[in-house]
Amino acid sequence: MDLIANLAHGFGVALTFNNLLFCLIGCIIGTAIGVLPGIGPVATISLLLPITFGQPATTAIIMLAGIYYGAQYGGSTTAILLNLPGEVSSVVTTLEGYKMARKGRAGAALTVAAVASFFAGCVSTVLVAASGPLLTSVALSFGPADYFSLMLLGLIISAVLAQGSVVKSIGMVVFGVALGLVGTDVQTGQQRFTFGIPELSDGIGFVSIAMGMFGIAEIILNLERPEARSVMSGKVGSLMMTREEVSRAIPSVLRGTTVGSLLGILPGGGAALASFGSYMMERKVSRGRAEFGTGAIEGVAGPEAANNAASQTSFIPLLTLGIPANAVMALMVGALIIQGIQPGPRMVEAQPDLFWGLIASMWLGNLMLLVINLPMIGLWVKLLAVPYRHMYPSILIFCAIGVYSLQNNVFDVYQTVFFGLFGYLCSKLRLEPAPMLIGFVLGPMMEEHLRRAMLLSRGDPMVFVQRPISATMLAIGAIALIAMLLPNIRKGKDKALQE
Amino acid sequence: MKLNTKDLLSAGLFIGLAVVGLWLNQDHNLGTARRMGPGYMPMLVFWLQIILGGMVLFFGLFNGPDPLAKWTPAEIGFLIGGAVAGVAAGMIAARIPGFPSSGWNSLGIGIFVGCLVAAVPPGWRALFLPSAAFTLFGLVLEPLGFLVAIIVTVICASFADKEHLERPLGVLGLIAFLCTLCWAIFIRYLDIRVPLWPQL
Repeated sequence: MDLIANLAHGFGVALTFNNLLFCLIGCIIGTAIGVLPGIGPVATISLLLPITFGQPATTAIIMLAGIYYGAQYGGSTTAILLNLPGEVSSVVTTLEGYKMARKGRAGAALTVAAVASFFAGCVSTVLVAASGPLLTSVALSFGPADYFSLMLLGLIISAVLAQGSVVKSIGMVVFGVALGLVGTDVQTGQQRFTFGIPELSDGIGFVSIAMGMFGIAEIILNLERPEARSVMSGKVGSLMMTREEVSRAIPSVLRGTTVGSLLGILPGGGAALASFGSYMMERKVSRGRAEFGTGAIEGVAGPEAANNAASQTSFIPLLTLGIPANAVMALMVGALIIQGIQPGPRMVEAQPDLFWGLIASMWLGNLMLLVINLPMIGLWVKLLAVPYRHMYPSILIFCAIGVYSLQNNVFDVYQTVFFGLFGYLCSKLRLEPAPMLIGFVLGPMMEEHLRRAMLLSRGDPMVFVQRPISATMLAIGAIALIAMLLPNIRKGKDKALQE
Repeated sequence: MKLNTKDLLSAGLFIGLAVVGLWLNQDHNLGTARRMGPGYMPMLVFWLQIILGGMVLFFGLFNGPDPLAKWTPAEIGFLIGGAVAGVAAGMIAARIPGFPSSGWNSLGIGIFVGCLVAAVPPGWRALFLPSAAFTLFGLVLEPLGFLVAIIVTVICASFADKEHLERPLGVLGLIAFLCTLCWAIFIRYLDIRVPLWPQL
C-alpha cells in the first residue's frame, strides 16, 4: 500500500523534534487566539508569517496549519462558557452550547465539542491523505485553459459565499486581481503601475496587505466597539457525558464530519460555512430537534465536528491544485511562495516531506489539542482576563516588527498602514476583504494561464468552452452566479450567515 | 428613492480606481488576444471592474437606505485638515536635507503628521492613533533602534484607549513586557538585522 508507506514517511517527518515542537506551538497559539475574541486565525497567521521564513518550509506550514485548526478548538470554549464566540466559526456553538452551560451541562458540552473535533479531525486527515494523490493525478492532465477556468470558479464561489452583497464581493475579487497586477510583467519585464517605486517592482507585499486589512483594520474596529466581556458564571461541572448524551451526539458528529469535509473542499468554503451548514442540518434532521434553542447536544456536536473537518479538508484544493479555498489558505500560498515552493499538483511529488509531513502533523496536532483543551480548560478561560487594551499594542508591535523584517525596509511598514486605513474604509462600506486577498493571490497565476491558453489556441477564446474540464468549471461558476440572483436562495444564504 | 449610500460610495471607489488604472494602462502595450502584451490583462480587469461598479451603482439606487455613520463637523474638518497637513508635512520634509528627506522618511513623516492631526477629535482616535503609532515605529526604528521604537509606539498607541490614561502604570508594564518578549523572539531567537540601541 502506497498510502501507508507514505503516511509512515509523513509520521517520520512530523515526529522529528523540531516539527513536533512547532506543531505544539501552533496548536497552543491557535487555541489561545481561538479563545480570545478580537483576533482571528487570519490576523495571527499573517502576523507570524515573517517569523516562519527562517524555518524549513515543512515546519512553517505545520505550525501555521496548527494555528488554523487549533483556533477551531479554542473558539468553542468561550462560546460554550461565556456565550462569546472566539471565532466566526463558533458563532453557532453559542446557540446550543451556552444554553447547555446554563443548564449545568457545560462540562459535557466542552467534552462533546473537543471529542467531536478530534473525531472529525482524524477522519478528514485520512480524507486529505487519500484524495491528495488522486486529485493530483487528475490535476496533472489540466491544461492552461482548465487552470484558468478552475481559478475563475474558485474566485466566483469565494465571492458568492462571502457575507453580504455578491456583486460587491465580486468587485472586491476583481480589485484584488488588479492589485496583483502591480509589479514587473513576467513575460516582457515591463514595470506596471509601480509609479517608479523600486519597492513595488516585485509587486505589492502580500504580507502588507494581509496584515493591514486583517491585522490593523481589525484593531481599529475593535477599539471603536466598546468592550463587552462577561465573566464566567457558574462552574464547568463534570466533564463526563451521560449515556444518553453520547448516543444522541454520535449521529450528529458523523453528519457534521461529512458536511464539514464537503464544505471545506469547496472553494470559498471553510470552517465558518461548515459550522453554519451543519447547524442548519441538525436543526432539521436530528433526533433532538425539538430541543433546539434550549441546549441540544446535537447543536454542539455537529457544528464542532464540521468546523474542524472543514479546516482540514480546505487544505485539499491548496495542496493538490495550488488554489486557496479561503483567506487562511491564501496566506498559506503566500508562505509557500516566499519559501520558494510553487503550490500546485506537482507539490505532492516534488515535496513529499511537506505534503505527508503536514498530514501526519494534522493528526498529531488534533491529539495534542484534545490534551491541551480538555484538562486545561480553566487555564484558557483565565486568558480572557487579559483586556483588549493590553492586547492591541502588542499586536501592533508584532505586526510592525514582522513586516519590517521581511526585507528590512520601512516602506513595507508605511504600505501596511495604508492597507490598514483602506481595510477600515472597506469595512465601513461593507466590502469584504477576504475575497480581495484570494483575488490578489490568484490574479497573477490566472494571467499566466490565460496568456498561455490563448497562445495555444491562437487567440481563440472558444478554447475555454471546448475543453470539457474547463467548460464544466465555467458552467458550475455560471450556475452559482445565477443561483445567487434568485431571491429565495439569496435570502437563505443571508439567513445562514447572519444567524 | 431608497439610496444606499454605502453601495454608491463603493461603486464610486470601484469605478474611480478602475478609471485611474485604465488611464495608467495607456503606457502598456496591449498586444493581441493571441500574444497578450503587458497591458491586456489590466485592460480586461479594469473594464470588468467598471462594469461591476456600474452594477453596484445601479442596485445601490434601490436597495437602501443604508446611510453612513453621522460625522460631526469637527470630524470632517480634522479629516480634511489631516490630509492637507500630511501632504504638506511630507513635501516640506522632502526638502529638508538630512534625516527628514532620506529614504522613505518623508513619506513616513507625512503619514504620521496627517494621522496625528486627524486624531484630534475623539471619534477618530481609534482609527488614527494606532495608524500613527505604526508609522512612528517605521520612522524611529532605524535611527533610534528597536527598543526605543517599541516604547514610543506603545505610548502613542495607548492614547487610543481612554482606560490607559487612567492607569499609566499598566502601559509601563506593557512596555517592559513587550521589550523583553520582542527582544527574546526577534533579536535573540530570530536574529533579525536591526539596530537595538540608538545609532548616534
